Amino acid sequence: MVIKNRSKICLIISGAIIAVALFLTIIGHGINLGIDFEGGLSMQYDMKTAVTRADVESVLSGLNVGSFTVTVQGANNSEVNIRIKDVAKEDIQNVQENFEAGIKEKYPEAESIGDVNYVGPVAGATLVKNAVISVLLASVLMLIYIAIRFDFNSGLSAVFGLLHDVLIMLSFMVIFRSVIQMNSSFIAAALTIVGYSINNTIVIFDRIRENAKKMPTAPREEVTNISIKESLGRTICTTVTTLITIVALCILGVPSIREFALPIIVGILSGVYSANMINGYVWAFLEEKRRGRGKKAKA
Amino acid sequence: MKSNRKRGGGKTGAIIALCVVLVLTIVLGILGLTGMSLPPQGLYKVLSWLPTTDSAAWPESLPLGLDLRGGMYVEYSGKKPENSSAGMDELIEGTISIIQQRLSDKGYNEANVQRIGADGIRVEIPDVQDDTVLDLIGKPAKLEFYNPQGEVFMTGEMVKTAKYYYADGDHQIAFTLTDEGSKLFAEVTRESIGKTIAIYLDGEQLIAPTVQNAITNGSGVINGLGSAERATTIAAKIQSGALPLELTQQKVDKVSATLGQDAVSSSVKAAMIGIALIMLLMIVRYRLNGVIASWALTIYIIVLFLLIAVFHIQLTLPGLAGVVLGIGMAVDANVIIFERFNEETRKGRSAKAAVRAGFKNAMSAILDANVTTLIAAIVLLIFGTGSIQGFAKTLLLGIVVSMFTAILVTRFLMNRFVAAGATKISLYTKVPAEKEVEA
Repeated sequence: MVIKNRSKICLIISGAIIAVALFLTIIGHGINLGIDFEGGLSMQYDMKTAVTRADVESVLSGLNVGSFTVTVQGANNSEVNIRIKDVAKEDIQNVQENFEAGIKEKYPEAESIGDVNYVGPVAGATLVKNAVISVLLASVLMLIYIAIRFDFNSGLSAVFGLLHDVLIMLSFMVIFRSVIQMNSSFIAAALTIVGYSINNTIVIFDRIRENAKKMPTAPREEVTNISIKESLGRTICTTVTTLITIVALCILGVPSIREFALPIIVGILSGVYSANMINGYVWAFLEEKRRGRGKKAKA
Repeated sequence: MKSNRKRGGGKTGAIIALCVVLVLTIVLGILGLTGMSLPPQGLYKVLSWLPTTDSAAWPESLPLGLDLRGGMYVEYSGKKPENSSAGMDELIEGTISIIQQRLSDKGYNEANVQRIGADGIRVEIPDVQDDTVLDLIGKPAKLEFYNPQGEVFMTGEMVKTAKYYYADGDHQIAFTLTDEGSKLFAEVTRESIGKTIAIYLDGEQLIAPTVQNAITNGSGVINGLGSAERATTIAAKIQSGALPLELTQQKVDKVSATLGQDAVSSSVKAAMIGIALIMLLMIVRYRLNGVIASWALTIYIIVLFLLIAVFHIQLTLPGLAGVVLGIGMAVDANVIIFERFNEETRKGRSAKAAVRAGFKNAMSAILDANVTTLIAAIVLLIFGTGSIQGFAKTLLLGIVVSMFTAILVTRFLMNRFVAAGATKISLYTKVPAEKEVEA
């Protein structure tokens, strides 16, 4: 097997995915923000028989509440998930009771299942603020650590890969907005990937560190190729074992687990991809530049 | 070095060591699943600590978070009342202690009230889905003033302000009363000089000052409170016919118990299937080393949950995900070691030399990979809220335990297996038919 530097094509592909997501966001089809971010009231009901969405919506329209969304789900389309924006907290109880009274006329067996959830508008802002701080802080700390243990260019390219993975995860949330909502668990997932996907990069950089010492004069790109190849067995085995448990969790888990597991799967895949196809070559590029500068300085 | 000593009775010693570890693993595993009483009905009890898919038999020693157990979760943001000069910290603490008191008075002993961020309060009440509990939290406190005869003569609504201040080397509370309160207070104090007036909040005595002189103008001082902290807290409590802070509900989360049970049993099931598949894959790919990895993974799980039980870490949904991810990390360390081991054998090294060289070469990668993940986990622990912290805690613990099992335990087992005579390379990896020369 021959490993080649295809980082340019890969960067173009990743860039294109991110650009599509950005474009969708600009035209108003951005991330499907869940209740944790947008605030509002969310309820889940099991109607025991198949539900027509219009029925539920007509009951809600009669309640004189702000905008709402109704999602029908479950194996036999008997479960509905309702989200109502702009509910004052004093009205929660009222809205709930009136809705139940209204819906029972159509679906007498309707039963509340799962969470009743109310989030005020402030909670989401704090969440985002903390998340952004966490990602940036973690990135800076990792950059420092890697710069000390490896070299500054390694730190830079590892963090570059990390931000790439987070951006890909966010793009996934945009592109698959009809399938998945973004809630606070996404933040946990993104931060998991920040912590985890860097492992792949580190293991490869560890090889690069080792091989670079053995071949001080070889082009850095070649060192990277060799190192990626030597780590490939480990990369594949680890990725498969990690994915096994997360995929099992995703298949068997309840929806709130899925909301967490799905972005993690995307992040892990993106992490393997960036570690093997991009990060090492970014390092090689930066190193060659540095060498070039060194030579010029000598001459 | 040590190896010289071992060479003599090495083989028997290694086999004995392996048997001891095996017995220990099995005993701890059974203990973790079933628990034990010593003597049978006796004083010493070891609770089981390993999760099961049967949520009814969930071990007592693994406390479940609200999202898995069912219950209510409420977040408030607090606002300083306009006339308050006290610091936010004191007001928040006063509010938290009052809420806690009210809940435990009503029998919600497991309720947990915590400060979040600068001005937020989080209340968690397990097993409850009833909105009336919320009224309990927000309702005004019942503040009562008792005259020396033990009769209530005044209530909290008649208090206008109560403030801490420091004067004459003493921590004091200055209070002002409404007109009606002033009248009542004047009456009682006039007759009670030298006697005590008791102030009760929600049935609990706050303070019982002795009346030194009649207070007729509706403003007075309670002195001799000992510390600034005590004085501030009491002032905050007296001030509050209501709570020291104006609370606004930010978030209400009601989780039904059945949903929680589903989540628990499905994630435990997923984890079990995942672990079984991982073990299978490891054994197919790394043969005897795969068996060792599976063994180390078993020890990892036993030790991890033992520590979760010992430290009383609440298991939440993301917390369980953290455990699952930790398993992935633990296996990764083994994979790195085994790949290096296989590389060494390909160079023609003996199994014994390959173990040593494999570990030596793998260590830097494992260390750096774990430290970077540790950095992320610590940042999460500090900046995360609620359930994210639960995730950070189990991930953190998982990393630490995996460093122990995947490195130390694995090395111990590998060395013993080699010493016990399992030195044929084909036990560990495919031996190339002819020695190929790598390009």
